[in-house]
Order: sequence, then C-alpha cells, then structure tokens
Amino acid sequence: MVAILGWVSLAGLAALGVWIFAFTPSDDLMGFSQKIMYLHVPSVWVAYLAFFVVFFCSVGYLWKREVLFDRAARCSAEIGVVFCGLVLATGSIWGRPTWGTYWVWDARLTTTLLLFLVFVGYVVLRAFAEPGEKQARLAAVIGIVGFLDIPLIHVSVQWWRTLHQPSTLFKVGEQGRPAPSLPPEFLWPLLLGFVAMTLLYAFLLLYRLRVAALEDDLEQRLARQ
Amino acid sequence: MGNHYRVVIGAVIILAILGGILYKGSQSTVFYFTPNEIGQAPERYLARTIRVGGLVVPNSTKWDPDAVTLWFTVTEDFNSGIRVRYAGPKPDMFREGQGVVAEGILDERGLLWASTLLVKHSEDYKVDPKQVTDKKMAYKSLLRE
Repeated sequence: MVAILGWVSLAGLAALGVWIFAFTPSDDLMGFSQKIMYLHVPSVWVAYLAFFVVFFCSVGYLWKREVLFDRAARCSAEIGVVFCGLVLATGSIWGRPTWGTYWVWDARLTTTLLLFLVFVGYVVLRAFAEPGEKQARLAAVIGIVGFLDIPLIHVSVQWWRTLHQPSTLFKVGEQGRPAPSLPPEFLWPLLLGFVAMTLLYAFLLLYRLRVAALEDDLEQRLARQ
Repeated sequence: MGNHYRVVIGAVIILAILGGILYKGSQSTVFYFTPNEIGQAPERYLARTIRVGGLVVPNSTKWDPDAVTLWFTVTEDFNSGIRVRYAGPKPDMFREGQGVVAEGILDERGLLWASTLLVKHSEDYKVDPKQVTDKKMAYKSLLRE
C-alpha cells in the first residue's frame, strides 16, 4: 500500500518533467529558468505541510503524552528539512540568472533560512540527545516555536521591502478578490507538482514511520536483554 | 500547577521575543530605499553603501560596452529619480520599466555609483508570445540556441 503511493508520486513527478519541458511554453521574461518554479513552489508547500505536522503532533504530544505523536513529529521534521533545503537550493539556482545573485539577506530569504536552521537543530537534537521523555518534550517545544516562523515567512514579502517578489498564487486583485497572476498553461503543471509532491511526502512519512516503529521496537528489545 | 506556570511563563517570554523582533523588523528591515525617500533628505544617505530600489525609467539607459558601464535612472513615480552609474556587465534580465535594486555609494551630486545591480522579478508570469505562435516544443528551440 505504501509502496503504491511511492510509485504513484514518482510517476507524477516523471509526468511533470515531460509536461514542463516538452509541452509547456516558456515564460516571457525569464525563459527557461522559470521552469524551476514547478519544483520550488511545491517544495515550499511540502516543507510547510511537514512542519505543520510537526507542530500539530508536538502539541498533541505535550497534551496527551502519546508516543505515536512524538514519533510522527520526529519523522515529519526530517522530511521537512529535506524539502526546505530543496526550497533554498532551487531558489538560489533560480536567483542567479533572474536576480543576478545566489543569495541576498532580504526578509523572505532570511526567515526561510531561519526555518531551515531551526529544524536542522531539531533533527540534530533528536539524533544526539539522550532519548526519552525529556528529549521529546524539549523537541516538541522547538517544533512548535519553529513552526511559528512559517506565517512570518508568508507575510515577509508584504510587511517588508524584499528582493523576493510577492506571492503569485495568493495575489489579490481589485476589490480584494483573489487573482493568481499566472496563465493556465503554467498553473496546471504547477498543480500536478503540488499533487505529486504531496503524495511523495505522504509516502516518505509513512515509510519513515514504519522504520521508526522498528527502531523503537529494536531498542526496547536490546534494553530488555 | 507549578509546571503549568513554567510553561506559560516560557511561552510569554518566547512570544515577547518574537514580537520584539517583528516590531523592530517592521521598522528597520528594508532591503532597499526608494528614490523618493532619498530625494527628501539626500544628506542622510551619503558616505555609506546603500541599496536603491525602483523602476528603470524608459529611454534613460546608456550601455557602454567598452567601459563595461551601464547608466540609467531609477524612479518610484516617474516624476523624479536617481541616476545610477553601474560598473559591471549588464544583467541579462535588465529591461527598461523593470524593477531593479542597485547597491553603491551616493555622491553629493546625487549620482549613485553602483557596484552591484540586482534585477527584481515581478509576481506576474506570462507565456512567451513567440512560443505560442510557432507551437514548437520549448526544449527543441532551447537546444538550437
């Protein structure tokens, strides 16, 4: 069942690759480098989703002290770090031909790097600190506070003057109506990207949870001996 | 009960720090100044490296390939602007009417001596009209280039 999810998401990503390179027109200004958007923006979504799961499960753990919550938060954080790293890498690769620089310290990029570093710290803590309830509690607090950076990232392009452009998908038109500013030729493959990447996240999370359950089981057996 | 108080106090401290960062950030964190801000009090922006952001005024550009120098005017409202002298290769994405951020030092005459030029990208995406008309696959035209 989990394997099917993995194959479907891979097929979706392969189809996305064919679609954007062979059948999608280029952007008027950026040309070819705009295509990195189909990877960058869905990665942002998955990173946010993964860290939301961390947030949700961390609150759940602090409230109910249920080990399953703690395990899910730990697994989701690892995947979130990978996708957040992907966001930074693809954005940087896109920034060079478009802006003329790989990196600037504007509010959007800095708050995104902060998110990445907080959760790298989270993963390091989970890997090296003494396992147990104390570690789980501390990690849960970091997970909750770290997640609070995400709304900040989202509004950073409106609150502050940044090099990064404001949101295309959440653009507001006249009379406050939503008016995403990209043609349907770009929007449809982007939506496929969202679906495929979300399935990939679900696959990775379920698989990682299975491994984590085995790890915990093994540790208990070893402790008993 | 004592444990609950500790959690609440911790949360309040964290929120206060976050709030402080936000408050401070919303006042001072600007990635660039606008030409109008500088125009109101130019003396405040002298003798230090600043970033100026705005739109490139149409027909204000002069590109000197021998000296590798680009001249243009940035503006906010197309009434007044700041003249920029950028020493470096012209960025591929540089267009008149486009948003740019130039980093450099302002002199007394109001000329910005820029050493870095970044091109802003707008949130609006458009299909390249050339590709729609000839219906050629995007990657084929790329391979030929």
